[in-house]
Amino acid sequence: MERVDPNALSGLPSTPNQRVEVNALHLVQRLENLLRRKVVIWTLLVLPGLWPLWLIFVAKSPSVLADPLKYVLHHLGFTACVLLATVLAFTPLRVLWPKWGVALALNRHRRLVGVASFAYAALHFTAHLVYEGGTDASFLLEILRNSVKKPFQLVGMITLAILLVLAITSLNAAIKWLGAKAWKNLHRLAYLAAALAAYHQAIARKTFPLQVVWIFGPLVLLELARMWKHFAPEKSGAGT
Amino acid sequence: MLIRTPPDWELPESAATPEQHYHARRDFLKTLGLAGAAFAAHDLLSTDVLAATAGFPTKVNPAYRDPALKPSSYEAITNYNNFYEFGTSKEDPVVLANRGWKTEPWTVELAGLCRAPQKLDVSDLVAKMDGIEQRVYRFRCVEAWSMIIPWDGFPLAKLIALADPLPDAKFLKMTTFLDPKVSPGQRQGNLDYPYVEGLRLDEANHELSFIATGIYGKPIPNQNGAPLRLVVPWKYGFKYVKSIVKFEFTAKQPLNTWQAMQSREYGFYANVNPTVDHPRWSQASERVIGGGGLGSRQRTLMFNGYEKQVAGLYKGLDLRKNY
Repeated sequence: MERVDPNALSGLPSTPNQRVEVNALHLVQRLENLLRRKVVIWTLLVLPGLWPLWLIFVAKSPSVLADPLKYVLHHLGFTACVLLATVLAFTPLRVLWPKWGVALALNRHRRLVGVASFAYAALHFTAHLVYEGGTDASFLLEILRNSVKKPFQLVGMITLAILLVLAITSLNAAIKWLGAKAWKNLHRLAYLAAALAAYHQAIARKTFPLQVVWIFGPLVLLELARMWKHFAPEKSGAGT
Repeated sequence: MLIRTPPDWELPESAATPEQHYHARRDFLKTLGLAGAAFAAHDLLSTDVLAATAGFPTKVNPAYRDPALKPSSYEAITNYNNFYEFGTSKEDPVVLANRGWKTEPWTVELAGLCRAPQKLDVSDLVAKMDGIEQRVYRFRCVEAWSMIIPWDGFPLAKLIALADPLPDAKFLKMTTFLDPKVSPGQRQGNLDYPYVEGLRLDEANHELSFIATGIYGKPIPNQNGAPLRLVVPWKYGFKYVKSIVKFEFTAKQPLNTWQAMQSREYGFYANVNPTVDHPRWSQASERVIGGGGLGSRQRTLMFNGYEKQVAGLYKGLDLRKNY
């Protein structure tokens, strides 16, 4: 990427380099502007939901077609986890880089991304009911009984219940009704939901799935950095 | 000129069975020297490649061909696999097990407490099993899904007779190949390798216990455990140890891989049992692979529907403790 510029060596003004810098700045600005727009975020949130349709109807992947609903079930849960980790990363990004436009742009969409995570989790649970029950309603009672009996499934349901409460109280009216402080405290439950979701995903397979680490690992690192910034002796005095 | 860039999910025909394997299989088949009716007209030693295109000359064993069992599609059977040596996702093995992993030639070792320990090539071994037969069995995975699979192969009892176990031999331990160079899973160490499974000798000698060398009359694909794979239809799929390199007769119960990994969830017996749940999910019912659309679910049968044949093996055994 870096090429030796004879002008730079001779100490003359390096116009090509400056141009690259300007272009890079321009790109970041473009990205920032894009991320500010709701329609862009909506598209990014809907696309993962369409991925299984592509595999089933266009690519006709035989591995997916063996049990399409199973793929859909896992994919919806996976997407819910990714979105939950993503939305929780927005705040530490803003705290760590308060002047970074991209972080600021992303923080405009916390509600939207959070609600989308709930929507995927709810679809995941619906897929679970159909997956376990098939078309035979006589399985329904068994499914619910199992869900309470198996810690793996129970944790998933508790996570969904938390996300449901957070989604309902994401309306502006709820903030007024609860008061800002109570609302903020309630919405800290999102961290509990993330921890439970990570656990639910970690034990979903026969062996530990590494994807849990790359979904939730960056969030943990960001939160650690945020805490470090918060508690470390602040030189500039601009602590939060 | 048409230049087509295939998407990365697309598996070209040639990758399904690399050409050299394809030809090696033909040689392998020829060396079997099986005088099937379809084969009789051909000179077995001729280089006519068409001679082997029908795959294994296999004869359907009518005793194991329940007309009520409708076999799952070949696509489902060969694209939806658990073979952790080649990745932990169902779609991984069909790709990763066909990237230069050679399953021919293949040496099999008969070892331990037996009168005729030996190492022999798999084609020589199969040639000694007087004929390949096809059996249609139910297949039930511990993950609560099922298929119906037409396996080609021979009864395990015949292989045991060849080794001629000593009276002290009480168990048969079977081991999968170990070659991290070709196995991404073994390089990652996603399980303790090599993969080990075991049976009580009376289970191994049971008429249902089978060694598969083919599926649907074709040589068993790499992702399904070429060239030799155990088939024990009344047990969960993880007992069906794949790509076996060693059969060893032991006095002590072998510690099978999944039991070693997670003994609370997977035991030695692994008999299909709808009344004993997995700690994380129910075993009372199962998804039917290839059920189409939203798919279907059916009740799981005791011993996977082979209760009449195998229940006698476990008289007096607490199946709740010995899962």
